[in-house]
Formats: sequence, structure tokens, C-alpha cells
Amino acid sequence: MKSIKIILRDTCILAALMILSVFAISIIWSGITEEIGLVLKLFGLALIIVVVNYLIDEYLSLSMAMYYVVKYFAITALVMLFGFIAGWFYPTNFWMAFVYVGVVLILAYSIDSFKVKKDIEFINGKISDRGQRGL
Amino acid sequence: MQIITRQVKDKPLTVTIEYPERTDFVTSLVRRISSMDTSFSASIDGRRVKIRLADVYYIENVERKLFLYTAKEVYRLDSSMSEMLSITEDTGLVRISRTCIMNTDHLKEIRQVRNSHLEAVLDNDEMLIVSRKYLKDIKRVFQK
Repeated sequence: MKSIKIILRDTCILAALMILSVFAISIIWSGITEEIGLVLKLFGLALIIVVVNYLIDEYLSLSMAMYYVVKYFAITALVMLFGFIAGWFYPTNFWMAFVYVGVVLILAYSIDSFKVKKDIEFINGKISDRGQRGL
Repeated sequence: MQIITRQVKDKPLTVTIEYPERTDFVTSLVRRISSMDTSFSASIDGRRVKIRLADVYYIENVERKLFLYTAKEVYRLDSSMSEMLSITEDTGLVRISRTCIMNTDHLKEIRQVRNSHLEAVLDNDEMLIVSRKYLKDIKRVFQK
């Protein structure tokens, strides 16, 4: 399980680096095309989301469900704002941001809940072992 | 690994580690045991005292002032949170929230309350709120 996680994580990092490298060379040759612009905007949005996510985790002390509710509204607002500035959304389809963010967060919440449960089991198991060894 | 303990009266506490070859595990073990001898200079009622790491339950940052909690007393620490965090490596101390460092040697249980908050229950039955973000750091202490 851990190996699969590392492989998936490294694949994503490598893919991101490959995209950035290829696009960096393309920018030198042909300037910023529409596709390159879109990918750069996505990287920019990802950076903003990661920073906001970090600040929420660092400075708010909420229940797990509330964390995700706060993140849902904060990230949706960011995606909508960024989308309007970047010209991704129009007044008629801006609600799509709620769907996109919702799908990603439901997946993240499910994985997170499972992981937290497993981590708690692991820690309590180790404490129990320690108690049995009289340490 | 064999653990042998024996009482030798009128001698200071001595830990002897015998190993066939010096591996990373042995180095980590030596560092961990050395860190147990760590003590903190703290104050209570205007007196300065030394508190052994083993007696520390948790350290809390309240309005930029650090307080050290043992089973029964609360002491004031002059250090900063970042100074404290720098000495937590290879000790049982771990950050569990933005304002709290817990000694895992006194941890009795971690529990999730109604699928929301995480709580650490200490062996004196005191409860601390654990931020989910730091759960992996607690896990790392137990993986060593």
C-alpha cells in the first residue's frame, strides 16, 4: 500500500516536472500558446489552493467534517474567482465550480477519514504493545 | 534485542548497550536514551527548577508564553516554541497542534470523538486536542 502511494506520488511529481520542462522549452520556441497558458493558470491555481489549505490546517481548530465544509467553500470561492479572472466561467455556468470542487473534496474526505482511522489504530496498537512490555 | 535490567545499589543509573556492529538503529537508540536525560530549566512561584524530560506531560504556548505541565504542576518556560521544537528530535516529544507539544511517553490513547475531533488521553487522564495535521508526526514517533 505504501509502495503504491509512493509510486503514485512520484508519478504525479514527475509528470508535473515533465509538463513544466516541455512547456518551458515550448515558451522559448513559440511563446505562450492557449494550451500552455491554461496549464500555467492551473499550476497557479494549485499553488493558491495549497497555500489556503495549509493556512486552514495551521490556524483553524475544527472538527474533521467542519474542516472540509470550510475548505469546500473557501476553495470553491477561489476557483470561481480565479475562473472568472481567467475566463473559464461565464455568469451562466459558474455553479460548475461547486461540482468540480465537491467531487474532489468528497474523494479527499473519504481517503482522509480512512487514513486517520488507520493511523489511530496503529498508534494505539503501539501504545498497547508498550504497555504489555511494561515500558 | 534483549533487555536486561538489574538493581545495583549505591551506583548512579547506568545504561550499557552492547551491539555486534554500530548500525543506524544503535545510534538512534543511544540518542534516544541520551535525550531521556534531558532536563528543562523552568520556574514556579519565583523559584528556578530543573524538570526531567520523563516528567514532562506536555508543553503549551499560551499567548506567546510557554508552560510546561507535569502530572501535578505547571511551570513557566523561558524558551520559545521553535527552540522547544528543535530539541524534540529523537525524544518522545511531538507537536500535536499549533500551540502544544506532547510527551508520547505519557500517551495512553488517541481517540476520535464522533468522527470529528482527535483527542490524546494521557496517563493522568488529562485530554489534549490533536490537530489532524500532526497525527502523522505522532505516528512517526511510534515508527522509530
